[in-house]
Amino acid sequence: MRGAEILVDVLRDEGISVLFGYPGGAMLPLYDYLYESDMRHVLVRHEQCAAHMADGYARVTRRPAVCMATSGAGATNLVTGIATAFLDSSPVIALTGQVPTSIIGNDAFQEADIFSLMMPITKHNFRVMNPKLLESDLRSAFKIAGSGRYGPVQVDLPKDILNAEIDPLPEKYPVRANGMKKDLSRLPDAVNLLRKAERPLIVVGGGAIWCGCGQDVMELAEMTISPVVTTLMGKGAVPENHPLVLGMVGMHGRRVANWALEECDVLLAIGTRFSDRMIGDPSSCRTKVIHLDIDSGELGKNVTATIPLAGDARTVIREMIMAMAKKTGSTPWANRVGELKERCNCDFNIMDSPIKPQKVIHELNTILPEDAIITTEVGQCQMWAAHFLRCDGDRRFITPGGLGTMGFGLPAAIGAKVAAPDRAVVDIAGDGSLMMVCQEIATAVAEDIPIFICLLNNQRLGMIMQLQNQFYDGRLFAEQLGAFPDFVKLAEAFGAKGVMVDDPSDLSSVIEEGTSSDKPFLADIRIDTEEQILPMTIRGQAETKIIQGKCAWKGVS
Amino acid sequence: MQVISMIVNDEFGVMQRVMGEFTRKKINVETIVVGKCELEGKARIVLTVLGRDNAELALERLERLHDVLEIDILNETRHEAYALVANEEGKVRLIGSIQEVTKLIDSMKPEKYIQAVNAL
Repeated sequence: MRGAEILVDVLRDEGISVLFGYPGGAMLPLYDYLYESDMRHVLVRHEQCAAHMADGYARVTRRPAVCMATSGAGATNLVTGIATAFLDSSPVIALTGQVPTSIIGNDAFQEADIFSLMMPITKHNFRVMNPKLLESDLRSAFKIAGSGRYGPVQVDLPKDILNAEIDPLPEKYPVRANGMKKDLSRLPDAVNLLRKAERPLIVVGGGAIWCGCGQDVMELAEMTISPVVTTLMGKGAVPENHPLVLGMVGMHGRRVANWALEECDVLLAIGTRFSDRMIGDPSSCRTKVIHLDIDSGELGKNVTATIPLAGDARTVIREMIMAMAKKTGSTPWANRVGELKERCNCDFNIMDSPIKPQKVIHELNTILPEDAIITTEVGQCQMWAAHFLRCDGDRRFITPGGLGTMGFGLPAAIGAKVAAPDRAVVDIAGDGSLMMVCQEIATAVAEDIPIFICLLNNQRLGMIMQLQNQFYDGRLFAEQLGAFPDFVKLAEAFGAKGVMVDDPSDLSSVIEEGTSSDKPFLADIRIDTEEQILPMTIRGQAETKIIQGKCAWKGVS
Repeated sequence: MQVISMIVNDEFGVMQRVMGEFTRKKINVETIVVGKCELEGKARIVLTVLGRDNAELALERLERLHDVLEIDILNETRHEAYALVANEEGKVRLIGSIQEVTKLIDSMKPEKYIQAVNAL
């Protein structure tokens, strides 16, 4: 069998039915084999987006997904997408073409040392130099990407390896994958601490999404009468309409959630790495922390864990539930939190003109189906979505929280829609981010992938404007996008449908049309160009600074 | 001085992968010895860093690498220091404990020298 044939066989055997890629000289042996295979290939318009699409696909299916690019520039274009997947622990497999083994290192045409370039942004990577190892390296790639803490794996494929005649493996080669260190020795202490807590709080991060332990978390929360907050990456893990769920914490989190984070006496942290945008200065975290993560390397990295637990969240939470006695009635803490939560629930159905972004999110909350998938770009649009969007039921929230990659949302939405064609998929976009990847509207049209781009168009880099206003004396610079395009015409130029909205009363009908459209749909929503994403909470060592904005939270009185 | 010893796959790129973890965590490697070992297709790396915290952080990161098969921090009784020292009269080889070899180098004030630490 030829190398390319073995490759496709392994992919199929690993459950892969779709590839996101872009061909090139070094990858043509593979594409020649794909010609006669039943594998779906989504031809992207830029390789970075192939990685984001595979990422979006992987986040919906919680299984490894594959992107591919040719050698040299094709492979280097994947780097941003793979780094995004790495920081958000997404199991993306990147297959890169490479020049033939005989000329590697000669600065051959379209040669880049992508093996070195990918090393620090992958969980592991391979360069297949021996055709006999092709299959075992590919199998190892899947094993590594989709076990323990998920993460991207790259496999570099020299052209002669794809062309080589390889005997099928007579026996199974050992698959290389280090197991994660598991340490639950302090589980009884954790149960005790949680049981005795007067003001317990549970914070769930992206890890809870990957292992799908949301229901177990809520069961534990109800037993211990613990309020639950989420990080940006954990948004959607637990239903935000549950009385115990307070929403997102962090720099642009909800006030009541941040308040609870400061006031709790025991914090059970599940699958979160306490990033600086979540916790601010780590020394501001003064509570007792039970830190549960599948990656022991996260325990004690940013905040000191009173009790570290290294293991799979779902298993550990089940064990906690078994060991815990159910509390009944209510507690002063839970009553207090419930009261404050009510005060934090403001009405943001604002009918102002120009349109307020909060109003757009309000309409999305009302109109989007219970199982909608929402992706975001980066900046104000992302934070408006994170703060105001309600993820109840089965809604998924997919955002590039770690790397903050502008241009992630559109390709991730395309990948998500391929993974879940029956669910509504919305990209909440900003005009800056969308301009970075707008060519992928062509991919969506060509491949018949009807995603809805909900563009919050303020004709500027709003987050830059906001930060320059807040921290640089209003010296606004390089934040006006000036000659911004006519996005409706842009969508139409690619063959998608585009509608401009500047009247808040038109929003609901346009969003309904976009959500149910059978072809890619772009709503160019002209929002208030001066609107900021507030409140903004900056947790420092000495004090917590809060920029309140319109937020009506009266706090504790 | 903290000594970390590990068994790794003896392949191209493995040193880069191991060193990458030190780069990421801003830890300087003081000395490093790499060579063939008793296991076929594997190599042993013995390296030193300053500070117990650094050693433990490096250990935590390195043991998760798929090319690292065994890793440990070795205690002082197992350390061996080496140095090759040169001045106009010629070269001298020094072997001993880290303290002994460092002391000898200090007193000899050689023109050139290279010092490394090994351990089993």
